[in-house]
Amino acid sequence: MSVALAVTVGGLFAVGTFLLLRRDLVRVVVGVAVVSQATFVYLIAMGGVDEGTHDLVPVLETHGGEVPVVADPVVQALVLTAIVISFGTTALALVLSYRAYEENETMDVTEWIE
Amino acid sequence: MSWIVIAPLLVVLGTAVLTLALGQRPQMQRAASVAGAVGYVVAVSSAAWTFVLAPAAPGAAAYQVGDWPAPFGITLVLDGLSAFMLTIAAGVGLASILFSVQYVTPENQRVYYHPLFHMLLVGVTGAFLTADLFNLFVWFEVMLIVSYVFVAFYGTDHATAASFRYLVMNVFGSALMLVAIGGLYATTGTLNMADMAQRLADPAAYGVDLAPAVGLSALLLAVFALKAGLVPFQFWVPAAYTAAPPPITAMFAGVTKKVGMYAIVRLYFTVFAGAPVSVDLLGIAGVSPLAFLAPVLAAMGAASIVVGGFGAVGQDRLEGVFAYSSVGQVGFIAIPIAVAAAADPTGTLRGVAIAAALVFALHHALAKGLLFLSAAAVENATGTDNLRDLGGLAGRLPLLAGAVFVGLLSLIGLPPLTGFFGKFLAFDAAVRGLASGSGALSAVALVALLLGAVLTILYATRVWVGGFWGSETPAVEVTTAEPGQILVLVALAAAVVLVGVGFDPVYRFAETAANAAIDTEAYVDVVGLGGGGDA
Repeated sequence: MSVALAVTVGGLFAVGTFLLLRRDLVRVVVGVAVVSQATFVYLIAMGGVDEGTHDLVPVLETHGGEVPVVADPVVQALVLTAIVISFGTTALALVLSYRAYEENETMDVTEWIE
Repeated sequence: MSWIVIAPLLVVLGTAVLTLALGQRPQMQRAASVAGAVGYVVAVSSAAWTFVLAPAAPGAAAYQVGDWPAPFGITLVLDGLSAFMLTIAAGVGLASILFSVQYVTPENQRVYYHPLFHMLLVGVTGAFLTADLFNLFVWFEVMLIVSYVFVAFYGTDHATAASFRYLVMNVFGSALMLVAIGGLYATTGTLNMADMAQRLADPAAYGVDLAPAVGLSALLLAVFALKAGLVPFQFWVPAAYTAAPPPITAMFAGVTKKVGMYAIVRLYFTVFAGAPVSVDLLGIAGVSPLAFLAPVLAAMGAASIVVGGFGAVGQDRLEGVFAYSSVGQVGFIAIPIAVAAAADPTGTLRGVAIAAALVFALHHALAKGLLFLSAAAVENATGTDNLRDLGGLAGRLPLLAGAVFVGLLSLIGLPPLTGFFGKFLAFDAAVRGLASGSGALSAVALVALLLGAVLTILYATRVWVGGFWGSETPAVEVTTAEPGQILVLVALAAAVVLVGVGFDPVYRFAETAANAAIDTEAYVDVVGLGGGGDA
């Protein structure tokens, strides 16, 4: 499981960094989003994925006998917060890139008028 | 009484909401905004007085949000260090909003300017108060998202480009910060800073593996250096500073930059300092993560001084000079911190050096705030802030020129202005470091400080001679300044003089703050890990 997570995090970071270094603004914004996603998967991985017990997930006690494999709930709360922030930032980045397109009539960063 | 800790946060949050609601009534909105800034000053000073400065003050206080006990809930802590930084934020914030009301055109102020300004203060206040690592990230984001909007505020192509670059840089930095925080959580099993300090100081008892903690702390250093604009992470600074509205630039240089430096001091000296590691990496051996911080931060600080100094000398626009000068001046804050990190933890040097960094931070907030606002006033009066088109302002606008003169002299470090004590203490820390054994590092620090001092004199003279002396140019001949703007500038210049003349209590405050920063035990006591350390 942890190998799969590590590969996913590494792959996402690689793709995100690649996109961040593009000249096209939209790709940069997508790169920003992908890098953020990579950190979220990483955070979940850091919380660890454990065999569930009733101690770990008290809510599930009244929910049938079986407790599934679960991740640390604290980390999930953190990731949820981070996702909200990331949505906001990505939306702002999209607005800014649209504005930059209006001013420069190009999405290519190298053709920006300074 | 502990509710006073959260009062500054509530005041600015309330003002932000109120100004948003008053968006259709510009005059009331402006009045509410100024009143909110005054309320913030009152809240901060009463909190600082009650818990830190009063004769029988406890020295620090904690507020457990929602009564959830630490380390499970969110804890806000006001100790000497937070109080000192909040005082800076309150002072610069008030001056900046008073200036904004008269400088920014009424159309631009409508609807969003004031709510955004107070949200910036919300982020800054939260970052100074929180005792929770993830919360620190959230407050950073609150502050940064507002900053992106402010950099793009004027909507020109230059502003949009600067804002976009600033955003991409910082989102990448925030991703790294999350990686570091996630890693520290996995390593230590807690996010509460006091709890983390306790666990790192006694790794065997809590089963903490220290090797990853050292690396993750280094990652955090990179993130905070990015926020503080230290070389090699300085390249967003000049574009963002020249694009944002000038009163906001004063806030950026005076306050949000200091949040990065505050985070370095808080995390390294309060949280990581106790961690006993003996790693030998790249020839740097030491007993705590501070051993790694010292040479890296000294190198960054020295490079910042050089890059910022030479950059400022080569600029033609006033705003450009001061923006590059900010890069250099942050180096002056970083170097005493590096000396403190290299110092013996049992000696007095560590406290003295951190106090030097704090005094310099205060000086920079006042002087650079004054200078950025002056540049704005000059541009408002003459239509340009390019040194080539200026000249003879001293004869035309003596009060404005006088305020700039005080700011420049403080930057150079002439007694009895605040800047003198900032520079004096920074040199003092480096010399003491030289005497106490951390030889090579302190020598580098001393050379960098000297070079920085010379470069500061160079560009300050250039600004004065180029813009204020000499014969009046066509742009200057017809100028009249807004009296309200000049009043704010004169008040700030008076503050620079007053803090310098009455320096003794200021230094005692800085000393208290520095001692609070290095006293991990007191911090742990205040947070009160009543909920039990084991999660």
